[in-house]
Amino acid sequence: MLHVESIVKSFDGFLAVNGATLKVEKGDVVAVIGPNGAGKTTLFNLISGQLPPTAGNIWFKDENIAGLASHRVCRKGISRSYQVVNIFHRLTVFENVQVAVLSHHRKTFNIFKPAKIMAVKETRKTLDSVGLLDKAEMISGTLSHGDQKVLEIGIALGNRPELLILDEPTAGMSPEETAVTLRLMQRLSGDMGLTILFCEHDMGMVFSIANQIMVMQHGGTIIQGSPDEVRSNQLVREAYLGGADECSV
Amino acid sequence: MEFSATVTFSALMQQVLVGLSRTTILFIVASGLSLVLGVLRIPNVAHGSLYMTGAFVTYTVATLFGQSTLGFWLALIVAPLVVALLSFIAERGLFCHLYEREHMMLLLFTFAFSLVIGDLVKLVWGSDYRSLVAPVFLQGSFSISGFPFPRYNLFLLVIGPLVAAGLWFLTNKTKIGKIARAAAVDREMVGAIGINVSWVFAAVFVIGCYLAGLGGALVAPTQNITQGMDHAIIIEAFLIVIIGGLGNIWGALLGALIFGLTDSIGILLWPQFAIVFPYVAVVTVLLFRPQGLLKSTW
Amino acid sequence: MFKALFDAKTLISCSVLLALLLLLPQFLPRFYIYLFALMFAIALLATSLNLVLGFGGMYQFHHAVFYGFGAYAFALFVTKSGLPLWIGYVIAPFCSAALGLVMGLITVRLHQLYFGMLQISLGSLVWAITYRWYSFTGGDDGIHGIPLPDLVGSSTGAYYFNLIVVVTCLLLMYMIVNSPFGRIFQGIRDNPERCQAVGVNVQKQQLTGQVLAAFFAGVAGTLFVTVEGSVFPDLMFWTLSLEILIMCLLGGWFIFLGPALGAAIIISLRTFAGIYTEYWTLILGIVLMLLIFFLPEGVLGLFLKKADPAAKREG
Repeated sequence: MLHVESIVKSFDGFLAVNGATLKVEKGDVVAVIGPNGAGKTTLFNLISGQLPPTAGNIWFKDENIAGLASHRVCRKGISRSYQVVNIFHRLTVFENVQVAVLSHHRKTFNIFKPAKIMAVKETRKTLDSVGLLDKAEMISGTLSHGDQKVLEIGIALGNRPELLILDEPTAGMSPEETAVTLRLMQRLSGDMGLTILFCEHDMGMVFSIANQIMVMQHGGTIIQGSPDEVRSNQLVREAYLGGADECSV
Repeated sequence: MEFSATVTFSALMQQVLVGLSRTTILFIVASGLSLVLGVLRIPNVAHGSLYMTGAFVTYTVATLFGQSTLGFWLALIVAPLVVALLSFIAERGLFCHLYEREHMMLLLFTFAFSLVIGDLVKLVWGSDYRSLVAPVFLQGSFSISGFPFPRYNLFLLVIGPLVAAGLWFLTNKTKIGKIARAAAVDREMVGAIGINVSWVFAAVFVIGCYLAGLGGALVAPTQNITQGMDHAIIIEAFLIVIIGGLGNIWGALLGALIFGLTDSIGILLWPQFAIVFPYVAVVTVLLFRPQGLLKSTW
Repeated sequence: MFKALFDAKTLISCSVLLALLLLLPQFLPRFYIYLFALMFAIALLATSLNLVLGFGGMYQFHHAVFYGFGAYAFALFVTKSGLPLWIGYVIAPFCSAALGLVMGLITVRLHQLYFGMLQISLGSLVWAITYRWYSFTGGDDGIHGIPLPDLVGSSTGAYYFNLIVVVTCLLLMYMIVNSPFGRIFQGIRDNPERCQAVGVNVQKQQLTGQVLAAFFAGVAGTLFVTVEGSVFPDLMFWTLSLEILIMCLLGGWFIFLGPALGAAIIISLRTFAGIYTEYWTLILGIVLMLLIFFLPEGVLGLFLKKADPAAKREG
């Protein structure tokens, strides 16, 4: 479904991503791991169109989407959430998701119908699926950090994506909230059949949900394979799981 | 719409020289604005009001000494310092509490500040215009290939490069300049290594406003000192800063050159619409280089 | 559809206000009728700015240029074309909208401060041309004594005409703010990157907003001419733009009617302070400083917060 071919991104000569390769098949849950600064977030920004790549191709459903603006990438069926909370903080929780739903249905230039009565069912359904329905009328800026991170995912789901990209979905969450998010991701992948690509520092979580793991270092791909393959790979052990395990600097 | 069909070479040269001396004033004012905008991220609308204040103070000080040569030099030193002091008080009392606000709020706050200064100037000096004569040895003009060129403009042409050199020295060779440049790029980082950013900001703000005062002092003998001269200069200064690249002092120089020269040559070509030429130049530059000609510090 | 826009409380209070305004000229001296008619025009102007400022988060630094452009378009139409006045009322706002489109096409590529600054430079260009083109625009004198029929030219006529037009425009803008377009626009205000990431073409959206705001500013311009019977270059000078920004801030720019209230306050202050002192801008400056320090949500924002802590921004 998604095939990233030796992608490169340089910032003023600094190679943040240097020849990374990634394959995601339909229905997969793929984790990207690697120490901080390995280029995970940059890689996601390249896929979702936030940044144009310096070189390389990104194939999505047999179409090269490398360099497309982010709103066009989104319309192709790729949605993403962010590592740092990135919501519409003055809007209510409902409206946050509704923005995505309205955009998905191309209603953004409708100026005469009240938004209040549009896409209500679908928005509420999405909110329900992430468990935020009871907080629908709250101003999103006043939510707890954990809820805001979940809303992140909710907004991404509002576009009915085929591929969902989550950038550290549990960053800054308490253990309980992390467990809730993990179950949410399992539901999205299991019940709704979504293809998920995510990166995460919590190795327990990665190994419990991902069926494919890609390991990044210095902007490149060391290996992509099943959790077992990754666990037993010598290179990965040396580069990542071994010495610099938890003190990932 | 009388289009001057014959533009002689010497007339052109003369206009270029006039344009260059106008450039000096614009550069001095715009560089101060650019400094404040680049380092503090404040779009200081009151910059023009400080320029006007500088001009009025220059008039008062020079008049105290009977508009003598000594009075002129003294005024040239005192007036920018008065403006700097005023800005220092404003920075410590008001602006330093607002650095975290959005640009929009800062813009409106400086606008409020300019309204207050504008009326205070009116309170102190009244609504009449004032005029100041240059000291004797800068009066009159000499001829360049048959055309008269005012001595005072030549004086400005000497001052301009001096100020530019001083600014270059300040930003590249002094400690505070280096810190300010670093703070312009990454404020938190500079704070993190233990430098009191607040005082650096105060210093930069005061230096920037000093330049506004200096511009006002230098312009005083060349035109009527009036209410409203603040509005005329500030928009020009902003445009210069924008086309030069926000926060870039050499950009301010380049922008001032473009603005000053198109203005003076425009007077030669199409007097009625001379005012339009610099704006057209600005729009043209921004169409092709929306972020300004030189690298901005933002 | 109507129900989805207004709750009962808003509907009742707005109807009462409207009824009051309809009756007011029966009791007011002529000067106040004139003042109110002017206030309506400026209130519309401030609300049109807020359409892109408070609800779109755009750095609309030079909104007055669209206002002045509409006023000039109308004045020139009336004095030069010889066609019926009413066509001018229709054409002028579209002229402003066209200017909004042209300027928007150039400026929306830029962000925030750069956007605002480029807008100021383009607007100043328009101002400079108007200021110097004596043969066409009247130059710095402007155009005075624009002939208007009594139906709109008398002070009571202007009052009712402006009231009706402003109420209609406010209704339209209220619908826009609460439409999907408005919702997305608020999303862009809060977070343009994220909005783009959910598939919104942010620049196209902002361009549309710009054109709409310019259109309503143009309407406000024609209303100004209706009240004053004259136009002059100051109508598109940048200081006026900042004054409208103050009105929005003063009233509260996250509330629909905030800017209109701000406009009413500023116009009254200017009129009445102007009687006692020539230093009215000093007062305005100090008020504005206090406002920024202590009341960044605006007067109406504070009021609504007091009245209802969970108040939402539409008010």
